[in-house]
Amino acid sequence: MTRHTDLGPGRDPQAGLHQAMAALSAAPPGGRGVTSDLSIDETLLLHSVGWEPVDLVFGVSWWSIPWGAWQWQTGEIAEASSAFAGAFAEAAQQMREECAQAGGSGVVGVEIEMRVAAHHISIELTGTAVRRVDHHQAGFEFISDLSARDFALLTRAGWWPLSLVVGASFVVAPRRTARQWAAQQGQNTELPHLTEALYLAREGAMARMQRAGSDAGADGVIGVRLREGPLGHSARIMQFVAVGTAVHLAAGSHRPIAPTMAVPLDDAERTFEAASLRSSR
Amino acid sequence: MTDQDTTGGTGDGPTPGELPSRTATGSSLPDLPPDAARRLAELEDRPGHKGMFTSDLSVNEFLLIKEVGFHPLGFVMGSSIYHLGIQTRRWSQSQELAKLTGAMYNARELAMNRMDAEADELGADGVVGVRLDVNYYEWGSDTAEFIAVGTAVKAEDGHSYRNNQGKPFTSDLSGQDFWTLMQTGHVPLGLVMGTCVYHIAHRGLGQTLRTAGQNVELPNFTQALYEARELAMTRMQVEANELGAAGIVGVRLEEKTHMWGDHTIEFLSLGTAVARAADDHRIPEPRTVISLDG
Repeated sequence: MTRHTDLGPGRDPQAGLHQAMAALSAAPPGGRGVTSDLSIDETLLLHSVGWEPVDLVFGVSWWSIPWGAWQWQTGEIAEASSAFAGAFAEAAQQMREECAQAGGSGVVGVEIEMRVAAHHISIELTGTAVRRVDHHQAGFEFISDLSARDFALLTRAGWWPLSLVVGASFVVAPRRTARQWAAQQGQNTELPHLTEALYLAREGAMARMQRAGSDAGADGVIGVRLREGPLGHSARIMQFVAVGTAVHLAAGSHRPIAPTMAVPLDDAERTFEAASLRSSR
Repeated sequence: MTDQDTTGGTGDGPTPGELPSRTATGSSLPDLPPDAARRLAELEDRPGHKGMFTSDLSVNEFLLIKEVGFHPLGFVMGSSIYHLGIQTRRWSQSQELAKLTGAMYNARELAMNRMDAEADELGADGVVGVRLDVNYYEWGSDTAEFIAVGTAVKAEDGHSYRNNQGKPFTSDLSGQDFWTLMQTGHVPLGLVMGTCVYHIAHRGLGQTLRTAGQNVELPNFTQALYEARELAMTRMQVEANELGAAGIVGVRLEEKTHMWGDHTIEFLSLGTAVARAADDHRIPEPRTVISLDG
């Protein structure tokens, strides 16, 4: 393991690890092997909190966008935003079903691949289905982009992931009028209407993600990432996508993790950069 | 480039202590757009509506911030799209381009003020993990988007950590660095920055010929880069002094030419101003470990 993590009070870390080692060396349940993209470290950590990997699961969804949705638009492109939300919900639903079929009750380490093309939006989710070692299943519990390591750490602190939440917004960057352009040429000045348009789009994506979290009954959303940038097929259209994992405090109160400071005594590797002596010509 | 100068600049530039205008000006937009206010209002608890937090902190950072007694409130941001004009420069003279310096200050200040306004709306004590970025878009010639994002946090014990200007502290420290800083008995006061857009003189033909084939220092280049960096760092220090800081940690010096060509460079120094929280503080002794990986 590359990180020195004190696994916190409330559980004897030695006993937990012994249990995990035993579970790892035991034959897989049901006589069937386990497929997962988890590293051995992650599997060990997962076992230490009483969970085990089951299978690799997917969810894929393609949604078409009506022809001409991108053209001659100003402001937000509602069709694209709603297609994105629809595609994501469908992919997540598929992933749930696959997970349930495999006998899992949650999915960790979900990777999201999204593509927004001229006529369709595609969302692909890949993750590892997990379940409780004691087979005490409580139905489907969560989808999360947290790694197994993060999942173990979070649950020790009394928090649980609920779902992957996402919000998207597509907006056309407004053009400046000829008069505005002329007035601003050569000036150092803010461009208020452009600022406002992008600001609102970003806020819109965040607000949608927040609402999804709120609907899931979350106490918070962590690990929010904002993916943004111009679309490949139309540079004037900016996409903003906010993704995060909704979490809730299951334990009643937060359990401190009490980390300690450690100084690794390994020497930093120093190599001589011979390349810098080479002539630049 | 022609040797023209309409600004009448003498090349002296402002003195190091003299700051370009620090208060953001020239914006017709309110600090907090209504949409942002609506989003932030949804985060707060009120009868019939359960509040929640959002944050771009990783699980590690989240747990470490909880560990030092803070709770995340919300992901906050601010942005400003700015048109960067040109300032004429003398081909053979090293000088600060005060107008451009002012523009870079003002644009970042607008973005940060909006982020602060969002944090203020949430009643935050501070903003951690602040990132400042500059984006360029294909559709905007000479325009750049300045953006500031971070996670607003509040102390769980009710103690106020706002700085001497009554604003939430800002800091570009990660959750891990924030935890470590608190262990040393310091608190962050604010993200401080200094910037300087500098034009570095081209060398004349005579100079080029004299030094051709020689191993010598090029004093005009050395001096120009030296002075520009010093200006940026001095301005950062002035900001820290205004906050009553004991020091600045995690200083980074960035050099970017943006869209101005080879000889015009922005020197930006950024760091977190900190103050001592208590006089008698013992730093816990770190354990020494040897990792077995690799």
